[in-house]
Amino acid sequence: MDKLARQLHDDAQRIEVAVSDELDRRIEASLRAVTPEPEKSRPAPVARPPLFWWASTITGVAAAVAVIAIANWRAPDRSEPPPVNVVAAIPSIDLKAETAMLTGPLQEELDRLQSDLKKAEEKVKRDIGL
Amino acid sequence: MSDELKLINAAKAGSADAFADLVRAYRERLLRFLLTRSASYADAEDVLQDTLIAAFRYLHSYDPRWRFSTWLYRIAIRNAARLRGPELVDVGDMGDLRDEENDPLQQCIADSESDNLWVSARQLLNDEVYAAMWLRYAEDMSVNDISKTLDRSASWTKVNLMRGRRALESHMNGAARQSEAYG
Repeated sequence: MDKLARQLHDDAQRIEVAVSDELDRRIEASLRAVTPEPEKSRPAPVARPPLFWWASTITGVAAAVAVIAIANWRAPDRSEPPPVNVVAAIPSIDLKAETAMLTGPLQEELDRLQSDLKKAEEKVKRDIGL
Repeated sequence: MSDELKLINAAKAGSADAFADLVRAYRERLLRFLLTRSASYADAEDVLQDTLIAAFRYLHSYDPRWRFSTWLYRIAIRNAARLRGPELVDVGDMGDLRDEENDPLQQCIADSESDNLWVSARQLLNDEVYAAMWLRYAEDMSVNDISKTLDRSASWTKVNLMRGRRALESHMNGAARQSEAYG
């Protein structure tokens, strides 16, 4: 106990009090005039028979089974979209025609360049007198 | 079964004698505490009487897991607050209103050279902190029991006990410096 605690404890003891005989008589007379209130009876817990546990368990299991059964029974009703024929859905492409269409202009350009090259070659031969 | 529990059971059955024996050891302790919180000695006696009557009447609500003194103090604190009314809740204010000659606490303090710290505590601390300090240092109650008595949390009790101690230590240090200054 530290110094402050010790002083507080000692100072409390230095407060001198006494229950006087007159107060003692008053208190005893008051207590005799009072009747303690009876303890309020708490509602007794309801004793459930063992059958109650089985009944509640079976009811719970039956309910769970019913929910699962209903869920599965309704499942086929759901209208699924018809299977899509992927092959039919994709338009067929004529690969040869496509190739020809894509390379045609390049071929023409190449022919023109070769023709210009040949003309230029002949002109040079003429200029140098060959 | 302890003697106290036997008396409690007998009192619950309606024996006023058993209850009187049960509370005999607590009467002076309660009166001392109530005296520090009442305007007069007669008021403190009245509150003590009301407290014991209420305790006897409602003894059925006493929970044996509590210390009996904790339960009694709880009733006493409520009764004291009810007697003083809401306008005088702060003990410090009440101390200012009294003069020393009529102060029942001053009258009951044995002559001593040093001041009684509880007189200072009543002026420095608020109502609940004062009660917590009293229960801790005059009654040696545990923090847990004080919390139950004041209907406060254990953390509130610890914090306010610390604050109360600091306030009193500061007051004591100030008084010591003052006495040194005066030589």
